[in-house]
Amino acid sequence: MSHHNLRTVVGFEVRRTITRKRFWIATLIVPLVVAVVFGLIYISNSSTNRSLAAQKHATFTFAYTDASGLVLGPVVKKFGGERAPSVAQGIADVKSGRLDAFFAYPADPTRRAVRVYGSDVGIFNNGKYASVATEILQLSADVKIASPTLALLARGAVKVDSTTFKDGVRSPGLNGLIPPLIYLLIFYVVLVMLGNQMLNSTLEEKENRVTEMILTTVNPNTLITGKILSLFIAGVVQMMVFISPIIIAYLFFRSTLNLPNLDLSALVFNAERMLIGALLLLGGFTLFTGTLVAIGAVMPTAKEAGAFFGVMMALIFIPFYAVSLIVSHPGALIVQVFTYFPYTAPITGMIRNAFGSLSIVESLVLVVELYAFGYVVIRLAIQLFRYGSIEYTRKVSIRTALGWGTSRPRS
Amino acid sequence: MTSMSHSTLPASRCRSTRPNEAIRRLCNSRTMDPSAANASSEPVVHIENFKMVFDNRVVIDGLSFDIKQGETFGFLGSNGSGKTTTIRALLGIYQPTAGILQIDGRVFKPEDGKRLGYLPEERGLYKKESVIDVMVYFGRLKGLSHETAREWSLSFLERVDLADQSRVRLDKLSSGQQQKVQLGVTIMNDPELLILDEPTKGFDPVNRRLLMGIIEDQKRVGATVMMVTHQMDEVERLCDRVILLKNGRSEAYGTINEVQDLYGGTTIRIRYSGSIPDSAHFAVSLRERNYAELKFTDGADAALILKELVDAGVQVREFTTSKLSLDEIFLKVYGQEHRSDVAP
Repeated sequence: MSHHNLRTVVGFEVRRTITRKRFWIATLIVPLVVAVVFGLIYISNSSTNRSLAAQKHATFTFAYTDASGLVLGPVVKKFGGERAPSVAQGIADVKSGRLDAFFAYPADPTRRAVRVYGSDVGIFNNGKYASVATEILQLSADVKIASPTLALLARGAVKVDSTTFKDGVRSPGLNGLIPPLIYLLIFYVVLVMLGNQMLNSTLEEKENRVTEMILTTVNPNTLITGKILSLFIAGVVQMMVFISPIIIAYLFFRSTLNLPNLDLSALVFNAERMLIGALLLLGGFTLFTGTLVAIGAVMPTAKEAGAFFGVMMALIFIPFYAVSLIVSHPGALIVQVFTYFPYTAPITGMIRNAFGSLSIVESLVLVVELYAFGYVVIRLAIQLFRYGSIEYTRKVSIRTALGWGTSRPRS
Repeated sequence: MTSMSHSTLPASRCRSTRPNEAIRRLCNSRTMDPSAANASSEPVVHIENFKMVFDNRVVIDGLSFDIKQGETFGFLGSNGSGKTTTIRALLGIYQPTAGILQIDGRVFKPEDGKRLGYLPEERGLYKKESVIDVMVYFGRLKGLSHETAREWSLSFLERVDLADQSRVRLDKLSSGQQQKVQLGVTIMNDPELLILDEPTKGFDPVNRRLLMGIIEDQKRVGATVMMVTHQMDEVERLCDRVILLKNGRSEAYGTINEVQDLYGGTTIRIRYSGSIPDSAHFAVSLRERNYAELKFTDGADAALILKELVDAGVQVREFTTSKLSLDEIFLKVYGQEHRSDVAP
C-alpha cells in the first residue's frame, strides 16, 4: 500500500508539475535566453570581425611620422599613406580636412602608445584609423623578421600541450576537473529552477485546504517523500530540456554554427570523485529540499515564505565569494567553516572534490553530515507539515509543532 | 468488533450506492450479513478519557464515548466546544494530551487500509487540477486501480450532474459544484466509517438534499457514520445516538430518546374541564385555564394517566404526548452557555 501510494503521489505530482505552463515557461526561458544571447554574441562577433577585417584594409588619406624607425615605407605605400614633415603639421592637416588621418609612431611602440588623429566618421568607423595604424606596424615588423613562422610566433600563435604527473601517474588536469564540476552545475540549476516549487509543494495543500483530506488518506512520510522524488524527476526533465538543444546543435549543426570539435573522450572520470560528487549532490538536494518544504509547512502563504526562500538562495551563492580561496587554500579557516556548515557544505564540498582537495576522510564526514542533517530536516518538515498545514491562516509555532508545547500532532 | 476486510463487506452495501456495473463487480464477493455486523459488541470508534490542552488551555477534558458498527452518530455541540479537535485527534492529525482514541481497536493510521471517508470542516481540493484527475488521485490513494477510480468518478459525476465538467479545473467550478466533487472524494471506495464535519455547511438546499440522500444510502448499506452538524432536524431523522459536547465535556450521551428523557422526558398536554387529581404517576408542570402540562413519573405511561384522569371525572377534550425536540434541548443547553458568556 505504501509503495502503491508513493507511486501514486509521485505520478500525480510529476504530472501536474510538468503539465503546468509555468514550469515550461521557467524551463524554456533559460535555454531560450542562452540561445538569444549566444546568437547575439555570434552575430556581433561576426559583424565585428568583418568590420575589423574591412577596417584593416580601409582606404583613406593619411600621413605619419616614425620616431621608432620600424615603419617601412613600402608597407605604408600599400595603404596609400605618406610621411608627414612633422607631428604638428600632420595634426594640422587632419584638422583642416586635407588628410583623413595622421599616425605618430613613438620611439618605442612597446612602451608608448601610437597616437592616432582622424576626422570623425562615427564611433564605429573611427576604429579603422587605429586598425590601419596597427596593421602597418605589424606588417613592418613581419618584414623585418623575414620569416612567416617567426612572425606568427612573435604574434603569440603558440600551441602548448601540457602533461603533468602526480604520484608518478599522468594527472588529468582540466579534463579531470570538468566531470565532477557537472554535479555543481546540476545542483545550482535544480535549486534555482525548482526552489520555488519545493517551497510551494506543501504550501499548496495548506492554501487549498487539502491538508486534512490528504493526511487522512496517505501517510505524511509517503506524501513528502513522493513530493521530493517528484521534484527530483522534474529537475531531471529540466536538465534534459537544457541540455538537449546543446546536444542537438553539437550533433547536427556543428559545422554550421562553427562549434569547436570537443573531444569528450579526453575527459577523465575519476570514479572516486564522481561517486563523492554524486553523494554530495544528493545529500545537498535532500537538505535544501527538506528545508524548503519545512519553510512551506510553517508559513501560511507563499508571499510570507518568499523572504525565507531568498535567504536559502543566498546561502548557495555565498561560497562563490570565496571560490579562489577554496581552490588555492582549502585549509583556510573560512573554507573549513564553509566546508562543514550544512548549508554551504554541498557547494564547497563539490568544488573541493572537483579540484581534488577533499580527502577521503573529509568526504565521508561531509557526506554523513549532509545525509544526517537532510534526514533530520525532512523529519522536521514532515512534522511541521502535519501540524503546520492544519494551521491554515497563521504561522506555526515550531515549539508547539515539535511537541515542546503542550500538544502536538502524533509522531 | 470484527474488522471488515475488502472482501467481506455487507452484501446490501453493494445495492444502492454503486453508480455503475464496474463498481458493482467489486461487490460480488461481499457477503457479510449486516445484522451480524451490527451485533458485534466492539465499537468502531472508541474514545476514552480524552484530554486535549492547547497553550495551557484545556480544550477537551475526560471525554469518553463509543460509536458502534453500523450506527449513525451525532456529534453535537456549539462552536468551539471541541468537536473538530476530537475528530482531528481521532484521525491522528493532533496528538492527544491524554486518553485513548481508537478506530477498530487501534490508533488510526491512513496506511492501515481502513476505508475511511472524511469530509472535514475546512474543505478544499487541488484547485488547479481537473475534476477527474483529483478524483482519480484520491481513488488511487484509497486503494482503487486507476481504471476503477476513473469509472467510479465518472459515474458519480453523472449522478450529481457534473459529467460534462470532468475535464474542467476545480477552480472553474462553482462553490456548490466543488462541494459535490469533495463529497464524491469522501465516499469513494465505499467507506466503512464516514466522518462528516458539518457536512451541510455551505450547501444550498439542493446539494443538502443530495448529501442527505448519500448519507442515508451509506447508512442503509451498513456504513458507520459520525456526523457533526448544527441541523437538529437532520440529527433526529438520521442519527441513532448522539453526544452533546459542552466546553470540552460530555453534556449528554445516548439514543435520542435517552437524551430527550434527560432533558424533561415526555410531556403530556391536555385540554380539559374539571379538576386534575393529585397522582403518584404524574406531576403538573404547567396549569392554565383548561390547559395543563403533565410530567411522567417513573413507571407511568400515557394510557394509565389518561385512565386516571377520566376515572377522576376530568373531561379530557385533547390529550397529546410530546418530547422536547433536539433543537429545544440544544437551545436549553447552549442557550445557558451563551447567556453565561455575555453575563458580567
